[in-house]
Amino acid sequence: MRRRFISLFVLVWLFIFYYESSRHFFLNPFFGRELPKIKFLFPPAGWIMFFNVDEGYGGAEVYGIKDGQRYFINPHDILKTKAVGYDNIHRNVLSEVLSSYHGPAFCRFLRREFPGYEQFEVAAVFYPSVTENPKKKFYRAAYVCE
Amino acid sequence: MRMSIIQWWGRAFLELRPSLGLSFFRIFVALTVGLHVLPSFFHLQDNYLSTAFKTINLHFFTPEIIEFVQKSPDAWVYFFVVFFSVTWFFFLIGLFSQFSCILMTLCCYYFYALNAFHIGTLSWDILLVTLFLMCVTPYHGDYFSVDALRSGQRDSYKRFRPFFLQRLLQLQIASTYFYTALHKITASGNWLTDNPMYYLMNYPPEGVVKQFIFREFFAARPELCYVIGVTIVVCEILLPFLLFIPKTRSGAIGLGIFFHVVLVSTFHVPTIFFFLFPPQLLLFINPKDIVQWVEKKRGQSQNKGRAQVIYDGHCQFCETSINILLTMDLFGYLKPVDYHTIESVKTLHPNLTKELCHSQLHLIEPDGTLSGGFFIFRRLCFKIPMLYPFIFVFYFPGSGIAGPLVYRWVAKNRYLFHRAKICRDNACFR
Repeated sequence: MRRRFISLFVLVWLFIFYYESSRHFFLNPFFGRELPKIKFLFPPAGWIMFFNVDEGYGGAEVYGIKDGQRYFINPHDILKTKAVGYDNIHRNVLSEVLSSYHGPAFCRFLRREFPGYEQFEVAAVFYPSVTENPKKKFYRAAYVCE
Repeated sequence: MRMSIIQWWGRAFLELRPSLGLSFFRIFVALTVGLHVLPSFFHLQDNYLSTAFKTINLHFFTPEIIEFVQKSPDAWVYFFVVFFSVTWFFFLIGLFSQFSCILMTLCCYYFYALNAFHIGTLSWDILLVTLFLMCVTPYHGDYFSVDALRSGQRDSYKRFRPFFLQRLLQLQIASTYFYTALHKITASGNWLTDNPMYYLMNYPPEGVVKQFIFREFFAARPELCYVIGVTIVVCEILLPFLLFIPKTRSGAIGLGIFFHVVLVSTFHVPTIFFFLFPPQLLLFINPKDIVQWVEKKRGQSQNKGRAQVIYDGHCQFCETSINILLTMDLFGYLKPVDYHTIESVKTLHPNLTKELCHSQLHLIEPDGTLSGGFFIFRRLCFKIPMLYPFIFVFYFPGSGIAGPLVYRWVAKNRYLFHRAKICRDNACFR
């Protein structure tokens, strides 16, 4: 009885695991439609660590505005949580705030963290080529927190 | 044909094998979870309370769950912080291993649903898959755990369990390597058609690559970077196969561990890659071989002569303590001796008397070194693997003064600990 139960569990688990490992990039194109994702386990697109890295690099920068002057705010002062063995800022976690969907919540957060500033500007930063022209950097204001 | 498939299936998943490797792995799973989640508790205002900036992962959770969790008042957050810390610690020390694993995992889900901003990474999703598997059985509590000490089974290090859980964990990590490589060379991956390593080495200082010593050297050599990139992909594709072939297994484990050491030294990747994956690679070592190695070490201890622990066999508390020590004693270093069964304790060691033996535990090492009370734990913490974590405690400045005092108090009141009816007033202690 126990052997049967274990066998059943293993079969179901293997099916789910390999289904989710290949669903997004292999099964969806094969079947030509978006197959359902199993909730509460597995990432949305399988195991894709560093799978596509191009020569551009983008991130977010936050500026505080006071008396008409723009001051760069160190991202480590914005997100103070220190992870063990790595730096979440370097993992570009701040780039998530660029989405205008997150704008109001992030503005609220900034106002609480840095009450000394009158306004904040959240900017998208983009290096078009880190190899050809590493110093060339484009800025685009994503939104301003009034 | 049908028979051979059934036999293969039985050997792969159902065969009984020792759970020692899984027990060892549990410690690293707990450490990984702790190192990933606990730092986020130091800034609750920023991370989880109503003041925090939060992101949600709707790929992972259903909207209902997210909505429900997001309504958590701050008091709930504080409750879960405490609850997580307790269950995490229980899981680490292996107290109610399976139950604490389930509760801790639920807490992990809670914090993930509450705010995916800091803890939600791809490797976190990998860790949750591992945690889910760890929740399925209590096998990981068989040894290196308080559960093992509570069971009092001295041979719990070689407890046999169905192998399916360890096999699934093996398949998980092997497949993760394989699919990582597959995505790099198919789908939208560009590791063959472009030069991702070269770009990574040239990322701006705020990028994901650490400022390691040879970074500039690599950043100036695109051809070398391409070769390294392709080599990584080849290794990731081959590793799963090399891990399952007995002849190449140890080399593959070494290669995998080396890969992760290099990865965390050069990239800002979550600690999970360092604390979870290398121990998971060690799950490829056949647990039967590990137990065989342990038995060999136990045999060597027998031949070299074991250390004798002299205890009071009339004291139930001492009996229980000795049993715990012997359960911890993986390499069979200790030989218990009830001093009541010895005609003259002087035959054991010239400095011993019955009064001394009655007052505290004593340890006589194979070279004749005698130590007593608290100091035997200082001696044993280097010999008994389950006492290794206490090396820091036993040698902490001041422990040489506080330790003997605590020990003396416990020893003096030991008859009360087991609530012996004949000894309600501790009169048995002289």
